[in-house]
Amino acid sequence: MNEFHLTEDQQDCLQELINIAMGQASDQLARYLNTFVYLKVPSIESVAAEDLMKTLSQQKNTMAVVSQGFFGFEGIRGEALLVYQEEDSGRIADLLGYEPDELSQDEQLIDISSILTTTFLNVFAQQINNQLSYNAPKLLPNVQEILSEHLQQMPFTWDLALKVNINYQVTDYSFNCNMILLIPETAITNIKHVLDRILEEY
Amino acid sequence: MPDIKSLTTATKIDVPAVNELVLKQINSQISNQLNTGVLVLDADFNIVIWNRFLQVHTDKVPGNIIGQSIFSAFTELPQRWLSRKLSSVLQLNTPSFCSWQQRHHLFELPHTRPITTDSEFMAQNCTFLPIETDANGKHICILIEDVTDACHYQMQLQKTLAEIAQISRIDGLTQIYNRRHWQDSLEQEYAKARRHDKKLSLIMLDLDHFKLLNDDYGHQGGDMVLIEVSALISTLLRVEDTFGRYGGEEFAIILPETDSAGAIELAQRICRVLATTPLTYNDKVINVTVSLGVAQLSDKVSNYEELITQADSALYQAKSRGRNQVCNAAELAS
Repeated sequence: MNEFHLTEDQQDCLQELINIAMGQASDQLARYLNTFVYLKVPSIESVAAEDLMKTLSQQKNTMAVVSQGFFGFEGIRGEALLVYQEEDSGRIADLLGYEPDELSQDEQLIDISSILTTTFLNVFAQQINNQLSYNAPKLLPNVQEILSEHLQQMPFTWDLALKVNINYQVTDYSFNCNMILLIPETAITNIKHVLDRILEEY
Repeated sequence: MPDIKSLTTATKIDVPAVNELVLKQINSQISNQLNTGVLVLDADFNIVIWNRFLQVHTDKVPGNIIGQSIFSAFTELPQRWLSRKLSSVLQLNTPSFCSWQQRHHLFELPHTRPITTDSEFMAQNCTFLPIETDANGKHICILIEDVTDACHYQMQLQKTLAEIAQISRIDGLTQIYNRRHWQDSLEQEYAKARRHDKKLSLIMLDLDHFKLLNDDYGHQGGDMVLIEVSALISTLLRVEDTFGRYGGEEFAIILPETDSAGAIELAQRICRVLATTPLTYNDKVINVTVSLGVAQLSDKVSNYEELITQADSALYQAKSRGRNQVCNAAELAS
């Protein structure tokens, strides 16, 4: 058993924190988009680095990946990847309240990704009494070849990835994407400390 | 669920070593010496603060800017789009970004490299940050970074990569495709023809007595002939045909969706045109002829290399029959 794997209690605690964060984030999002946002309970999995690489390279219909770095106090940092499966992004502009010709499809993807990542992670950070800053989101070019290369060339070595499957459904608009949080070793240790602190008092 | 916040230790707040006024002066001087534009807006998008970077990069009078709407101060901004973006910052309390890769610039600011770059305005990365203050509600801080250099180098890199990609496909002397690219193309056309059950033909051709040409006119004369012949043949082809230099004086043409009859017709035309078009080099007339071999893709061929071999055998046959003629690989088989 990998020493970075979470115990069952830690996993439950993390799932709870993510549920709360996701709930609040989607509530904020619904207000901002001025529409009803239906959100399934997000499923989380922790994935070892090599397994993630395998999974992602098997996803043949991956259409786009947007990457955004985040960093906070107590060594909590990582990189969020938003992975879009199908080419259903044509209406993201509608969803965001833009006119289609105001911005390119790339910019729409980057925009929605940044909003999803930062609203979610902001609430998540509040839960663990932290505050996060963000890098500018970046659309990874030529997803098919680049993704695994990108994962290998990360500025830090990461051992565990947190895969959060998000399924957003907005009234008369269905929208799917996966959020993958890549977290380096030191940050995992720090997150585990925070989880343990919460569990101790529970 | 317990109150999580009470369980976690609060982030330590550093106690300032100097008094508030000094701190304010330091902060304001840092802001004014930053090589980044800082613009703070209130919730109605009116300008509250702008730093020296923006003051020196615009021709606007400082007194007139404060209190003005960002959209009347900077009329170049896309109002509808930016308003929506700014609203997201206020409402979601999250940062928002705008990269030069999607929008070269938001603010029309001159840059410090007007000579060495080709863009009129400063390329920018803009960051929109939510700011919470005790009084006067929420604000938005816009950071404007000058990324003209990065943008310029990225553009140059892309241009260079495109040039390298082009050069790697082209034969330096004749400016037609080189062997490697030609062969890659054949591999693809072969796969395509097999998959969609389409016709595919090949012409291999070789200049007759090229060695004698080189002996008589020197290598520069020989080079001129190669260049002229390539140019002449190029004018006889369709856009979908792929013409490449296969070796020294040997050329090859891929003809997609063409049967041997069509390929023979083209080969004969090339043969005729070259034989009747005298070239001149140093005021001397050079008569050039070619021999050509034609092969059509058939069930007997199991890979693209075999197709080359067939066309090559036909070319060899054309040579041995006296040159300046076309030979079809199908004749050899029967």
